[in-house]
Order: sequence, then C-alpha cells, then structure tokens
Amino acid sequence: MSTSTTPRPSRRQLLRTAGGLALGLPLLNACTGGGQSAQNAGADPTDASGPITVNWWDHFRPLTELFEKKLFVEYHRKHDNVSVKRRQLDPADLGQALQLARRSKQLPDVHSTAGLSGSVAALVTNGWFHPIGDFVDLGNSPMKDHLYDGIHRFDGKVYTFPVFSGRWHDSTTWVNSALAKQAGLDPEQSPATWDEYRATVRTLDQKTPDSVHGLLLPMKDTDYLGGKLTAFAQMAGAPGQTDWKTGEISVASEPFLQAMEFLLALKADGVLHPASSSLGPRDARARWAAGEAALFPWGPWFIGGLMVEESPAVKRGISAWQIPAPSTQRGTVYVAPASGSFFVSDQAKNPKVAADVLFQMTTPEFAAQLATRMDQPPILIDSVDKADVHPAYKKNVAFFQQDVRIGPVPEVRNGGVAKALAEMRDVHPSPGEIVQAVLTGSTKDYKTALQQYADKATKERKRAIDAAKKKGAEVSEDDWIFGNWQPGQDYTQASYK
Amino acid sequence: MRDDWWIYLFLLPTVVGYGLYTVYPLVASWWYAFLDWPGFADVGTFIGFANFELLWADDLFWNSFRNSLVFLAIAVPLRVGLALLLAIVLNRRSTPFRGLFRTLLFLPVVTTGAIVGVVFTLILDAGGPVNLALVKSALVDSPVDFLGSSGMSLYSVIGVWVWKWLGITLIYWLAALQTIPNELYEAARIDGAGNWKEFRYVTLPLLLPFLVVITLIDMVGALNVFDLVMTLTGGGPAFSSEVVEVYIYRTAFGATVPQLGYASAAAVLFGLLTMALAIAQALGIRAARRAMA
Repeated sequence: MSTSTTPRPSRRQLLRTAGGLALGLPLLNACTGGGQSAQNAGADPTDASGPITVNWWDHFRPLTELFEKKLFVEYHRKHDNVSVKRRQLDPADLGQALQLARRSKQLPDVHSTAGLSGSVAALVTNGWFHPIGDFVDLGNSPMKDHLYDGIHRFDGKVYTFPVFSGRWHDSTTWVNSALAKQAGLDPEQSPATWDEYRATVRTLDQKTPDSVHGLLLPMKDTDYLGGKLTAFAQMAGAPGQTDWKTGEISVASEPFLQAMEFLLALKADGVLHPASSSLGPRDARARWAAGEAALFPWGPWFIGGLMVEESPAVKRGISAWQIPAPSTQRGTVYVAPASGSFFVSDQAKNPKVAADVLFQMTTPEFAAQLATRMDQPPILIDSVDKADVHPAYKKNVAFFQQDVRIGPVPEVRNGGVAKALAEMRDVHPSPGEIVQAVLTGSTKDYKTALQQYADKATKERKRAIDAAKKKGAEVSEDDWIFGNWQPGQDYTQASYK
Repeated sequence: MRDDWWIYLFLLPTVVGYGLYTVYPLVASWWYAFLDWPGFADVGTFIGFANFELLWADDLFWNSFRNSLVFLAIAVPLRVGLALLLAIVLNRRSTPFRGLFRTLLFLPVVTTGAIVGVVFTLILDAGGPVNLALVKSALVDSPVDFLGSSGMSLYSVIGVWVWKWLGITLIYWLAALQTIPNELYEAARIDGAGNWKEFRYVTLPLLLPFLVVITLIDMVGALNVFDLVMTLTGGGPAFSSEVVEVYIYRTAFGATVPQLGYASAAAVLFGLLTMALAIAQALGIRAARRAMA
C-alpha cells in the first residue's frame, strides 16, 4: 500500500486561499465585464441605429397603460431598435430619487419633475435639462401657441412643452353616487354655496350607515391642505397667495380667513371621517373607494387613479361637484399657464431619441388618448369632448372652463425672478401647515399664524431678491405687480407685452 | 504581518464598506455644513458659519431636537426596563412556554421598520382594532386619535418603537442574566432572601455594567427612528412628532429649494449636542460609581 507524500493544506491555508478567491473573483468579473452584453458598452450614443434604451421616470399612475402599452409600443414599432423602460413613482419618492440619481449620474433620459418643487427655471439654470428645440420642430406643432418664455423656453431654447392643460384645480368634490342616492340626494346637483355644502355633507353623514362618514379631508399632506385653503379663498375673492395688483402676500386677507373658517366649520359639523387626520390623499382615495365616506375633494386625476386599481368604485357610481363659493357670487381660481411635464435630462445618453419619443405626445391623436386616461386634462382641451371618458370627468373639465383662469407669472415677464426664486427658503409654518395645525387642534389662532407667515414670506422674498441682485440678477419687488391684470380673465401671452 | 496578510484581506471589505458608507459621508457632511448648497446645483458656495447661525435661531430645529430628547428620555428607559422585567421572568425555569414567548417577543425585531409603520397606521386607525377594543370596553367614548393628534403622535411612535425593538433588548438581558452564577442565588436563599432581596442584592448589582452598555446601544437605536416616524406620522401633525432625522430629511429633500448645506449643519450640530450629552452622562455615571464605592 503506498502513502501519498504530498503535504495536505492546513485549515488556515485553506481559509486563506478561499478568502483570496472570494475577494478576487468579483474584481476579475469587473475587468472582463462580467459577461454582460455589449449592447451599451460598445454602442455610440449618437448612433440611433444601434439598440437604444430610453429610461423614463414619472409619477403619472393613471397613464401607465397609455405609456407602456400604447405610446412606447407604437414608437418601438416604428423604431425597432428603441425600447423605453419606464418607472412610476409617487411624487415625493420621485423627487428624492431624481436628486440622488443626479448626484450619482444615474438620471433617466426622460423624467417628470414631481417632487422637485423648485421652479423649472432654477433647474434649467443648474443644468438639469437638455434643450429639445434643436431635435424636434415644436414651432410647427400644435404646441406652438402654448410655449411661454420662462416656463418652457429659456434664453431662446425650448426645454419642454405642456402635455396637460394648466386650467384645473384639485378641489373638485368627488361623490359616491350610490351613497348620495341612499341619503335622498341628487348626486349630479352641486351645492353652490358653502352653507349648502355643509348642509349636504351633514345630510350624507346622518342618512347613511354609521360606518359611512360625510367627508374625507386627509390632513397628513400639508400641500393638499394648502391647495384647499387657497382654492376656497380664491372662490371667496382672493387672487391667490399673492395679490397681483399690489404684489403683496395676501394669505392673511379676509378671503383666506373665510376659507379657514369654512374648513373649521366642516370639522365642527362632525362630518369628517375620523381617520382624516392621519391619512394622505392616496390613502383617503382608497377609503373613499371602500365606501367609508361619501365625498372626497381632490384633483381631476381622481377617476383615472381609481381605474388603475379600484375600478369597481367607478362602476358603483361617481359624480363631480363644482367647487363651492361663500355665496352665489363666485370667485375665480387662478393658476399658472400649463408647465412642461417631461424633460430630457442633461445626462441622457441619447437626447435626440428621447426628445423624439417625447414629441409623439404633441399630436391631437395622443391628446385624445390622454383624455381617455382621465388624468389632468390634456393641453389640447377640445379632445376631451370627443374622447371616451366618464361623464363625471367631462363635467369636471367643463367646471374648470367656468371657474379657472390663467394668472400672471413673474418669471415669464422677467427671467431674473427665477434667480430670486432659487434663493428663496421655505417659510414655516406654511399655509398648509397652519391648516393642519388648526384642524388637528394644535393651534387656534390662525389669524396670527397666517399674518406671521405673510410677514415672514415678504421678508424672505426681499432677502432672496437682494441675494439674487448680488449675483447679478435684475429683479425687484415690482416684478410681482401686474397693473394690467384683470380679475376673472386670463392673463395671456399678449398681456405680458 | 507577512504571515497574517490574509487577516487584513478578510477585513478589507468591511473597512472599505464602512469607510465609504459611514466615515466618508460623516466627514463630508462636516464640510457641506459650511456651504450654501441648493440641491439643484452641483456644488455649493462656502459661507462659513452662516448655516449654524441660522440654525441656532430656527425654532423648528429646536422643536425637533426637543422631540428627539423626549423620545430618548421616555423610550429608552421603557425599553430597557420592560425588557429587563421580561428577561427575569423568562429566565426562570418555572415559567411555562419560555421558548415560545421569547420567539414571539423577538419576531417584531426582524420586521422592516417602514412596514411596521404602515401596518400600525391601520392598527391605530380610528376604526382599527385598538380603538375598537377601547370603545367596546367603554374605556373611551370615542376613538383616540393616536397619530393625528399633536398631543399623542410622538408618544404613539414611542410605543410602536418600544414594541418593535423590545425583543433584541430582551436577548441582551437574557445573556447578561446567564452570567450570574447560580451559587449566589443559592447562598442568598440559604440566608433567607426572598425574590425581591435576590433581585436587589444579587441580580441588580451584577447587571449594572450591562445596564450601561445596553442603555447606550438602545440610545443609539433611539436616534435612528426615521423610517418609523415617516411612515407613522410624517413628523406631524404640526411638527409634533418631527425628530431631528425627519427635520434633516425635510430640509435636504422636501424643501422647495433643497438646502443640503443647511441640512448638513443640522446633522453636525445635532451630533455635537448628543456627544455633549453622552459625555455628561458618562461623567455622571463615573461620579455615581465613585460615590457608591
């Protein structure tokens, strides 16, 4: 019998060798490319003939099917080397993801700007976007009359175009028609005044089962609450948080106080869903869909969002009520012109291809398809009448035509305003935060709180203007004054001249 | 070193990972604290101590700092004390189903904090099981607004946090109790000591060194509650449950123009203040020990 003379490795030597291999293999993998395909490694980013993936991030949940099963599929059919990879996130998550991605140079090719609350001008100034005007002919598209300096065009370069109309607000009351009928009400009849609204909500609360409440008013999201306060204040006669005649911050004015009292009155009526204080808007929509409340004020995307996961709630019956006013004399909701929804990032590997995919959204055919998704109304608003949409959605869009007007935007008239806006720090508590504090019982003196906000915001605006001036911007408080602004009318492109 | 090179090779991944993901961000934030850095810009501008001056006068920063201290002051003793009591009970051989109870108490530890937060928003909801039980048992007339009331929100977060992490502190105490020799308990019983005197004169003195370590570990945990607070309350209502991590996050990512330099200054200042507290605590313990000796 022979015995081997080869020395056996000790346990220590074995561990040493295994550890070295375990560490060395990933390094080797990285050097050789790990077996991944040469799809992107060897492709010339300017050569549109090789395989190209356009990465796309946005927050439009109701548009998932339209983008992924129609727009991108049709584009791929025409350009079989191009595929679009989409990621949909909640607005707050999207804002954070974009900021992190920018720093790590992993921005998608195309993205929306939800969650990046700063002005588009600030983002353009900091080089976030790639201009698209050289790649696509927007001047001869249906978008040509909807492009504004300071919103879509900066220093003569077009960076984006509006896909959605700006003529909307997020304070439409969405009605569970079945519950309204159960309470003996006509779900199609909007209560016109605040008093009628309160009486109607009380009826709904009292004449439906105990497990059903009158109104959902989610209080976790302070932007949502700020939107309600401002919209109701505008229906009471306020121009908005800024008085365009004087340029002053007007959140402590009488209409805002009335709006706050209206919200407090709803709470005092005992008609709010008890979980309202700990819900955000999306949670509240789920509760509404589950039949826990008859009413929920939110934006035009309500039905489109329900259709994604809670379509039985739509089939059950839904109606839209016009935003109420303090009296039969209705105010006006003023909004900015429609901003751009999508941008090609400055880190896009194929900006030309990305811009071309975007350009497919400028056609009336796409606008008609967009309308069927029942998200924000499309910029080519006539398409809603012709589209196959829920009657409540169509009715709501008609309400917007009556109640919403385009207001002035300081940075359109003077690009220097954007530099001042980029210097501005948020003032806390904001109007939305004050509403939250008041509705949850943390504070009672909302008049003082709103006045303090107005004073601090004025001071902060002045500080930001001075800071921008030191950096060479030409801007002053007068840029917030629009002497030719007429209440109740659109402030058009011609008005800026 | 030539013979032990492989030890350093095994340590390398940890050192690299720790350096890249803990040390580098920590040191970098000290520099960022001196910059005016709006989140949309690629780089910031050096402004010296201006961020710290603004921070010192920021009521919301001090509100979040106060909330963090309240969290520490209530949650840590609750977690440490409750876990000790449970460990003493579960360490006794006479306790039935010890293994089962230990497992059940440890299960929340392995769950994800954010998921726990989401689930507890439903459990603590006005129509959720907790309120249903309270109303049906006539302890309250109407549902308690655990998460939407500024008077309750922070304490609700504390309650959920203690529930989630109690199991791991229990394990620490169980391990500590195993180090006490049985002979000491036998000697105490021979001398006529009852349960309370056993605990007071045998268990507690021998557990004191562990108490310091476990408290320190739990305090570090109490300063990392971002996921739970964000999912449960978002820091509201009206900033009533906003702790420093949420304040920093809001300033860095949630602002209209994100303020990365200012947020970094908040992180640095908070770190310095808690370091000062930790030093004060250590000096206090040392003085107490000297007095006892």
